[in-house]
Amino acid sequence: MDERLEKALEFSNYALTINNQKRNIRNRVAQLQIVHHLGGVFIANHETIAFIKTLIDLKHKSSVVIDSKNNPITVKSLKDLLEKLVDAYTSATTEFDIENEKLKKARNIKKIMDW
Amino acid sequence: MKEQRGVCFFAYNNDQLDYVELAIIAAKYVKKHLKLPVCLITNEGSESWLNESKPKELINESFDYIVITDDKMKQNKRRHYDSPWTSFTAQFNNSNKHKIYEYSPFDQTLLLDIDYIVKTDTLLKYFDSEHPVCMFDNALTVRNELPAERERALYDAGIKMWWSTVVYFDRSDFSKLFFDTWDHIADNYEFYQYLYNFPSKLFRTDYCVSIAVHMLGGMQDTQTHIGNFDNSSLVNLSQKDDIIETHGLDEWILIAHDQKEEWQNILVNLGKQDIHVMNKRALARVVPELLEYFNEGA
Repeated sequence: MDERLEKALEFSNYALTINNQKRNIRNRVAQLQIVHHLGGVFIANHETIAFIKTLIDLKHKSSVVIDSKNNPITVKSLKDLLEKLVDAYTSATTEFDIENEKLKKARNIKKIMDW
Repeated sequence: MKEQRGVCFFAYNNDQLDYVELAIIAAKYVKKHLKLPVCLITNEGSESWLNESKPKELINESFDYIVITDDKMKQNKRRHYDSPWTSFTAQFNNSNKHKIYEYSPFDQTLLLDIDYIVKTDTLLKYFDSEHPVCMFDNALTVRNELPAERERALYDAGIKMWWSTVVYFDRSDFSKLFFDTWDHIADNYEFYQYLYNFPSKLFRTDYCVSIAVHMLGGMQDTQTHIGNFDNSSLVNLSQKDDIIETHGLDEWILIAHDQKEEWQNILVNLGKQDIHVMNKRALARVVPELLEYFNEGA
């Protein structure tokens, strides 16, 4: 096989593998960001965290909040929900960062696999 | 009084696959990550092979309950693959799966297939879910691609496919209704095959639950009583994929084939993600090393 083609195919395979691994990490992070609270399902992302924090800053202790499935949830303690959201966000992003750093350093398929 | 929460597995051996051995592995992963009691539902023959082939200590560590059933199974020959290049046919005993509502010793049950390997505690949150029944309604391959067309809908213009690989349920009236509906569909499978136009002669519980969801949702796509694990996907290691190596209990190196060009493979390290290992021979090959990791406390 032409050496140029061989190298191109090798890189193509590397790119395919690393992109797949990145998607795997994102799927895992998305799972970690799901927070169940009082029958509602919330996503621990910037928007939810900022909104709950805004309600708290405006001196609300409890509130009806629309969850990610468009259901109204009576949140008795906004503070408790905020804590849960921040915990989930932190553990998700920490894991994301660790795995992402590993991938950034991986220059071949063997390294991507942590082999 | 029933124990509050737990996990159940059905395992009926056939002449090709040692389902009870795979159930041991799946149960040990459940104990590691979910820390819940486990119930094995099997028949006399499989249980006696389990007792003959595995040390008593290992059986006791893996299963808190063993329920013996003697249901008459439908004749159900299934073609299995082990890579794109090897296939075999074996009897698939699954026609009593809906009876889990009767067999489970738990108030809240997570029914898992023996090839579903739990590597996270994600499923624990659904025991506090508002839904009486939860199942996956979408799936991805380990290449992050959608599965084959026929595993997304029952036919081209058909209803959405739900997976019976992982079923969470409680003891509510709705759960009872769901399993009774499943029972009815299983009893009248040929009629529903004609009505919903799904293929193959294989009796698939995925089809039964998909139809039950559709019926109980008012024959519409939207329904409120059945959860879908927050839209997350069932991650399938297909029968044509393989496990190449294991580095401890949670780090597996997989080889994933291309659905269109089956000889094209990529390597995948899924890490800490629950996985449905549809290639049961691949799982059986790594049983000895996984048991060793469990012994070492890895």
